[in-house]
This record gives sequence, C-alpha cells and structure tokens, in this order.
Amino acid sequence: MSELVIPKPVKHKFFTPGMVIVTLLALNGLYFLAKRFLFGMGAVTNLNNFYPWGLWIGVDVAAGVALAAGGFVTAAMGHIFHLPNMKPVIRPALLTAMLGYTFVGIGVMVDIGRWYYIWHPMIYWNGTSPLFEVGICVMTYLTVLYIEFFPIVTERFRGKVNLPNILSIFNKPIEFLFKLFDNTLGKAMFIFIIAGVVLSTLHQSSLGTLMVIAGYKMHPLWLTPIMPLLFFISAICVGIPMVLFESLIASRSFGVKPEMEVLKNIAAYVPLLLGIYLGFKLGDMAIRKSFVYLFEFNKYSIAWLIEIIFGVIIPLVMLNFKKVLNSPLWLFIAATLVVAGVLINRINTFIIAYHPLYAKVAYVPSFGEISVTVGFICLMVILYRIIVMIFPVISLPVKNEEKY
Amino acid sequence: MSDNARRDFLKQVGITTAATVGLSSITAKADEYKSGEVQGVLVDIGVCVGCRNCERACQVAHNLPAGDPEEYHNRDVYKEFRRPSTHSLTVVNEFENPKNKLIPYDVKYQCMHCNHPACVSACIVGAFTKNRNGAVTWDTNKCIGCRYCMVACPFQIPTFEYDKAIQPKIMKCDFCFERTKEGLLPACVANCPVEALTYGNRDELLVLAKKRIARYPDKYIQKVFGEDEVGGTSWLYIAPVDFEKLMFPTLGDKPAPGVTEAIQHGIFSYFIPPLALFGWLGGVMWLSKRKKELTESETKKEEDK
Amino acid sequence: MKRKIIFTSLLIFSLVFIIVYAKVDNNKAREQKKTQASETVTQIGNKTIVPEVPNDKKYGHAMMPVDCKTCHDCEVPTKNNPCLKACPRKEFITIYHLPEEGPTVVSLDEVKGDYGAVAFSHKVHAQMSQMSGGCETCHHYNTTGPVLKCKTCHSTTRQRADISVPDLEAAFHRQCLNCHRQWSHSTDCQSCHVLKGQNIKQVEAEKLKKFKTYSHPPLTEPKKVIFKTNHQGGDYVTFFHTEHTDNFGIACKTCHSNDNCINCHDVTLKAIDQNTPVRKTHKSFQEHHDPCSKCHVQQIENNCSFCHQDQPAEAFNHLKVTGFNLAPFHTNLMCNQCHKQPGNFKNMDKNCTSCHNNFVKGKFDHKRVGIELNETHSDLDCSDCHKNNRFDKSPDCSDCHDGYAYPKQIPGKKAKR
Repeated sequence: MSELVIPKPVKHKFFTPGMVIVTLLALNGLYFLAKRFLFGMGAVTNLNNFYPWGLWIGVDVAAGVALAAGGFVTAAMGHIFHLPNMKPVIRPALLTAMLGYTFVGIGVMVDIGRWYYIWHPMIYWNGTSPLFEVGICVMTYLTVLYIEFFPIVTERFRGKVNLPNILSIFNKPIEFLFKLFDNTLGKAMFIFIIAGVVLSTLHQSSLGTLMVIAGYKMHPLWLTPIMPLLFFISAICVGIPMVLFESLIASRSFGVKPEMEVLKNIAAYVPLLLGIYLGFKLGDMAIRKSFVYLFEFNKYSIAWLIEIIFGVIIPLVMLNFKKVLNSPLWLFIAATLVVAGVLINRINTFIIAYHPLYAKVAYVPSFGEISVTVGFICLMVILYRIIVMIFPVISLPVKNEEKY
Repeated sequence: MSDNARRDFLKQVGITTAATVGLSSITAKADEYKSGEVQGVLVDIGVCVGCRNCERACQVAHNLPAGDPEEYHNRDVYKEFRRPSTHSLTVVNEFENPKNKLIPYDVKYQCMHCNHPACVSACIVGAFTKNRNGAVTWDTNKCIGCRYCMVACPFQIPTFEYDKAIQPKIMKCDFCFERTKEGLLPACVANCPVEALTYGNRDELLVLAKKRIARYPDKYIQKVFGEDEVGGTSWLYIAPVDFEKLMFPTLGDKPAPGVTEAIQHGIFSYFIPPLALFGWLGGVMWLSKRKKELTESETKKEEDK
Repeated sequence: MKRKIIFTSLLIFSLVFIIVYAKVDNNKAREQKKTQASETVTQIGNKTIVPEVPNDKKYGHAMMPVDCKTCHDCEVPTKNNPCLKACPRKEFITIYHLPEEGPTVVSLDEVKGDYGAVAFSHKVHAQMSQMSGGCETCHHYNTTGPVLKCKTCHSTTRQRADISVPDLEAAFHRQCLNCHRQWSHSTDCQSCHVLKGQNIKQVEAEKLKKFKTYSHPPLTEPKKVIFKTNHQGGDYVTFFHTEHTDNFGIACKTCHSNDNCINCHDVTLKAIDQNTPVRKTHKSFQEHHDPCSKCHVQQIENNCSFCHQDQPAEAFNHLKVTGFNLAPFHTNLMCNQCHKQPGNFKNMDKNCTSCHNNFVKGKFDHKRVGIELNETHSDLDCSDCHKNNRFDKSPDCSDCHDGYAYPKQIPGKKAKR
C-alpha cells in the first residue's frame, strides 16, 4: 500500500469557479476585518455588555480548535500508537491543524479588544484561569505544529535551494541549515509529537472548562463540571471525520480518486469514539437529571436535540454500515455530520446556552461577524490549496504522477 | 435556571471538588479574606429614596461626564431598567412597592466586590486584583480585552468599551480605590443624603444589618444579600422585599470560581498530570514502535525465507 | 450501606450533642435570669421605670429592639453602674407638648453640603404630626424637658466610629424625605434647601412672619362617618368613630399608623382642583376593607350586611338592644371595663353587684346617685329597699311605708351627683 501512494505537491489549476467565490468571500471578510480594526469591535459585532462572547469566540476559536483536532488525533494514532495505514492522512491533518490553529490565533487577535497585547499571557500569568491555560497551550502547540511541519518544507527544498542572482550566495548556508535541522529535528521530533498530543489534551479540555465559571448563566443542558472531559472526547471524535471530510473534498477538487482503502480503515474508529462520547454525555445527563429540560421544547432543548441526533446518533448508526464505509459520498455525509455536530456543540455551548440575567434581547451575530468568520474559512481554503500545490502534503498514487 | 437545577449543579460541584482536589485550596483563601481588613458597604433599600446623588458622585469621582445636577432629579429614567455601563459605573433602578405606590423601592447596583471574585480567577492575564480592603480593581496595563471577566461575573458587572479601536477599557466600580487609599469615603457613600449606603468594616456591617432587620422585623425580609452569596461580597444589601423582585440573581453560597479552580487545580496540580501523560505517551510510543519493527522484521525474514 | 451507617451515627451524635448543649444552655439562662430579674426595674429620681419586656424574658431588656448605646454610655452597663444617658427613652414621655409650645420656625444649618440651610415651619409640621405619630415621629423617645439637639446622638460627620446610628445629614433627610417625596413625587433639593451662599436668616424671618399667624387646620375627630359605597343592596356603611376611640379604647395609631401628609396633600392633585385637598385614591378591595375586617373577623365573615346596610345605621343603643341603660353612670366607660372577656358580650346580668362589689351597706356612698340617705335609711340593708339587689329597678317602699312610692317620696334629701 504505502509504496503505491506517496505525498507529492499537487499539480492543478488554482482558480476554479468555486475558488473564485471563495476568494470573493475572503475579500468580503477582510473588508469587515479592516472595519473592526479601524473603528472598534462595536462597529462590526452585535456583542454587548450582556453577551461579551459571540460568533468569533464560539466558531473561530472554540470550534476552530476542535476541528483542528485532526492534527493531534492522527499524530497520536500514527506516530504514538503506530496504528497501520495512518501515513497518508497524517500530513493533510497536520496542515489543517497548522492552518486551523494559525487562524485560531488570528481569530483571538480579532476578538480581543487590545489585539496588540496578545502576547501578554506570556508574561502575566494567572494559573487559576482556564483561558490562560488555553492561551498558553495554543501558543505552544502552534509552535510545535510549525516544527512538525518543518520537515515537509525541508523535504521539498532540500538539495533544490536555488535563489536567484545575488541571493544565490545564501544557497549553501540555507542548504546547510536545512540539513542540520533535518538531522537534529528528525531525532528530537518524537518529543514534539508527544508534546503536541499533551498540549492538545490540555487545551481541548480546558476550552470546555471556560464556560463552567459562568455558572447559572449557562443552560443546565450544557453546564456540567465534566464539560472539559466532554470537550476533549468530542475533539477526539471529530479528528478523524475532519480528515475524511477534507480528504474527500480535496480529492474531488483536485480530481483525484479518494484513497477509500485508507479512509475506510480510519473511519471504522469513529463509531466507537462517538459511542463513548454519547455515553458520557447521556450518563452525565442522567446523573444531573438535566433531561427534564429536554421536554420544555424551547430553543435550548431543540438545539440540544439537533446537536445530539444529527451530530452524534445518526453518524454513529451510519458508520456501522459497510455501504457507508465503502461509498465516498456516504462517508462524506457521515463525516460532515460529525463535523457539523461538534461545530453546533461549540456554538450551543458558547452562544445558545449562555443566557445572561439582564439581557433584553438574545444575541444574534451581525452580518459583519458572519462575514469575518466565513472570510477566515475561505482564506484557510485558499492557503490550504496554495500549500498543497507547493509542498508534498497530499499522498497521490504513483500512477497519477505519470499522468501529469 | 431554576432552583432545582442550580442545586443539582452545586451538588455536582461538591462531588467534583471533593473528587478532584478536596476543598483545601478554596477554604484556605476564604480564611485569608476574613482578616477583618475587608471594608464594605451596607445598602439599605428600605432607606434609599432614589435621588441618584450616588450616580452623579460616581461620575465626578471617575472623571466621567456628569452633567447638570438637576438632570438627576428626573425620575423618568426609572421607566426603563438600567444596568451599569461604560459611562456609568453605578445605576439606581426603581421598583413598585405594592404596599405603598408612593414609596417605591430604589436599588443601587454596582460591582459587589466578591470575597472570591470570578473575574480575578478568570482573567487570562490576572488584570483584576482583590485588594486587602476588599476592593476588586482592574489594571489597564495588563488587560488584553478578552472579556472573559464579563462571562464569568455572576452579577454581570464588568462592561467593555466596544466603540474604541485602541485601548478599550473594562469599566466597573472600583470601590473608589484611590479615594479610600487617601482615607476618604467612596464617592457614592459620601454623597448619599439619607445614608442608605453605610461604609465600614464588613464584619461590623453584617452585625449592623442583622440588628436593623431584628429591630424592624416588619420592614425587612430576613436576609442580608451578600452575606453568603458566592462566598460573600463586600457590598451587602438589606431590603423590604425578596431580592429576586429587585432583579438580583439567585446564587448559592459557593464561590463562583470554585468548580473551575478545582478543575484547573486537578489538571495542573504541580504539573504532575501533564508530565505523567507525557511519560505514558512516550512509553506507549516506544513500545508500539518496537512491536511494529519486530513484526516488520519478522515478515521480512519470512519473505526472505 | 456504609453511607447509611455513617449517616445514622452522625444523626445520633448530633442529637446527643443538641440535648447536652441545650441542658447546659438552660442552666446558664436560669442563672442569667436570676441576676437580671432585679435589673428590669430602674429607679431614676422619683420615677420608676419599667421597661417594655419582650417575650423572650431570658435576656431581659437587652433584647429590646433598640441599640444599647441609645440609653447606655458605657460598653458594659451593670446594675450598680448603669451609666444611663440623659436621653432618650420611651419611658420618659410623660408630657406631650402642644405643637404651639415649640418653636414656630427652625433652621437647620449644621450639615455642610452642596446646598444651603433649611428653614422649616416646626409648628405646622408638629400640628400635622398629631394625626399619627406625634412628637415622637421626629424626636424619637425624647419629648420631655429640654428637647435634645439632634446632633447629641447623630454625628455631624459621616466618617465616624459608631455607624449604627445614622449621621445628622442622613437623620434629617430620612425624616423629611419620607413624607416629602411622597407628596411631591420628587427628591429635589430646593423644595427645602436654599441655594448655597443664600442667607438663611432672611428665609427664616419670612417664614416666621407667615407661620406666626398661620396654623394647620385643626384635626377634628368625627363622631361618625357614613360611606356611600357601590355595594349592591346595602349602599351605606356607617362607621362610628367616637365609639371606636372612646368606648373601644382603640388608639389613633392603630388605624392611622400609615397616615401622613399625603393622605390629604398631593401635589399632583393641585392641577385638577385646588379647592379640594382631599385626595381621592383608588383603593383595592382589600385596602377598603382591611381597616374594619382586621378586627371584625368573625362578624363579617360572609356577612356583608354587618357593615353594608340600606341606610345609614343608627348608633348602637345599649338600652334598646340589651335593655340595660348606660345612662347616666356607664356612658363614659369602655366596653371591656364591664365585658371583661374579649368578644363575649352575653352572659352579663343586670345585677350591679356582679361588677360592683362595693354595693354593700356601709361601703357605698349613696350620695353618688343623687340622694343622700337620711339616718333611718342609711342603717338599712341595701336589699331592704332594693329587692334582690336589683339596683336598676325602683326601690320598693311599700314594705314599711303604706302608699309610699319612689320617686314621689325619697328616703332622704336630694344631693348633687
């Protein structure tokens, strides 16, 4: 198997009709982003003193971190537990994680009032704050991700450094540096891989701790002291579906046949993880007796039901069928449902469940906020496309290489 | 949230706290604040006449636009329920008194200055400080504007200057920290014509509050708001009606950051759990790698044969 | 299972603890009671003061709803050294001054603030206070002798050692605003204060001139009040006011406890009709009925006609209803002086001796009924003339004197009652 597919830079036309739309949406987001930096948060967002956190924290940051969990899940499965057939998906997952976390960082910067102080947590520490923990872990993990990605850069350029004209004098030193890094990093890489998993474990769970302090302002359907555990398990759950989701999209977009053999194998882990997650979620509900709120049939109970039925139960059932595992379309649908389920969970936790005492009207994200969030996703797609066209990320069958 | 749910949650809190780290870290802090240095204010809603002098005094003391004194006598503002904001750190609201419509209940709101403040615990950079005299103050030099304090605050007090692109501030009552340092009374207390606000040692104020309730049992309900709420607050209230009717949140007596701190402490107790995880993962990695290599070499050998 | 055992043992332990503790506490309390019993009566000058003892006699007057410092100067007052202040105790009140005896206008300029002093018409306010609380409304327990200055107890500065008593500014504002904000619906400063820098003496002189001659209209007590209601069948409710005050002995405050200026004055009504100062308010059903129904619980239970009648009711006539004429000797008595059991008006016989145990020979001064008995008759036993001791019936002279009958003939001479 592994001899058949190896990571290669993808050769494809950059602009397709879809990409044009993506680019336009990204530009629209950038417009509102500029507005936010020039005139303040109030000019773009619907946030107020009752709803201090909205779409940007809920989706850009919280969901962003969760959906980038593919990086540490595949790293753990492939590099630490040495499960078979993981190789082809580790690199795309790593790239998604790297891009995802980069945009989480940018998202945080956009959302905090004093973006130029984003480095403050490095010097002003507050150990009791889960947000501090999230901040520090995300910063460190982002660095680790860049280090993990570095070998891909060296692989692409090692022995090919060829800067033009005057810059050519740097060719040799850069080549030497690449070699040095490759040799030392290669040996120490296991430290970073484990560190990445540990850091992810910490901050994925601490993201769940964030809303615990809001206490009675959180709806009891979501508020539980085991929120960190639920967040962590759901992050693991979404890791593989995220890899499936993007592999299937990328292969379709680049016109490559999806590696169903690989995807099928890793997809088989998902129902087990979802089952564990559902067990914890329902068990906690039973212990806290919060299920009474399910029968109120208000926006909270409906939001919870959508999250659990579409995001957990349906994909859990679907992925038990061979037909689903073998069909790219059905696999894509199941993966999308899991991804959407976690996304909805984060939105529910950070936006829907949060109901401050004195707010007169509930928070609804503004057009500007949605534009920025959509813009960021589009920028991520663009960057992903550029990177996979330059660096050997996506594994392609050797056969295909001959075709180009 | 209903009472039941809250009770359940608190029960849950108790279990987690006990299960993870025990109550040691929280109770230790509680003693620290009972040192007797903590000052407070007793707000007597049975006395307040809603003149809004405190509002104006606060504006002046914090260099916020104060306007004409006569504007504050306009009682039309009471038609709408108001909350502290970036341009007024304290506000008075009025509620109808069903017993006598001519003597409504007027209630001043501001930061309660909790004994165990959620904002202090939550702030990512530790920009909030619980001072020895009880005041919870905010440091503009540290704040990054993440607004987690606003999420955490059980009284929904910190406000944020959304309209500023550069150096937006978190605005909240600072218990006139600069004034009390110089031996002055907080501006609102100094300017209350009926002394509905009494400044003093928190312990003494509690005694005073209970005496006042005992003396006028028909006038006040048997409760000092802030005595136990979220582990106690520097500001205390006594009132003729239930505090829910005056738009106060119903809170338990556990400190607001209790569960979160217990979880954090559980995850981070001297970095042992993260390091243990690191070690375990390292072990697993080494073992599984060896196993894989062994099987691979075996299969190779078999192939060679 | 384990939890159950722990729980039960804890329960038993705590029960034992409570019982032991209660015993110890009880002993202590008994000792305390002994020492305190003698302290409950205090001698000051030639006046004996028996303080109000609350239900909880265990702590004597220490549990009275008053701060100790109101009366005592020192931290630990003892029997021998009570360190009593000259002021201000409820028991001191023996004389109520007339409103006109006090000053006409009083200037309050002790408090320094954003506004100038206040000159207020003390006389008129005192007159108004008679409607409910009287002098005590402002002067608390202190109304006799020299009236103490407010600042004797109320500090002139807000930063002070004893925060249990409001400072002077607060004390003034609480007193004034309590009524003023009710009738003016405002807390504006200038309705009382002059502006800063303005001379208060000038305002004081003006007010003095005005209020020297002006008095609040006297508060007269109505004999009865007839309410015309919209009750179907039984429009009229008649309330006999003097009966309630004089015969039932009900204090004004019992009904008029919440009465203050706004019951008659309300600035918002001025615009409507300046000539009718009486406020017409919409009262709820309960507000209308509470004043009566709180006492007349049994009589009016499902019985509207106890009060609601087709025409104004006649006053209760003791003679007509019971056959016992209250005139002339019993008119000024309160009901419960004869009807000793509350609520029980039956089972009273007309026999005078059932109340008057001094209606026996030698003890009774017969002059009081208007007839001074002559020597012969004063030696007789009461029942010789008043058969069966029925003093309400005419005496029977016929036993001794044929053809004699009271009041044609009298057993002595007429005397002044």
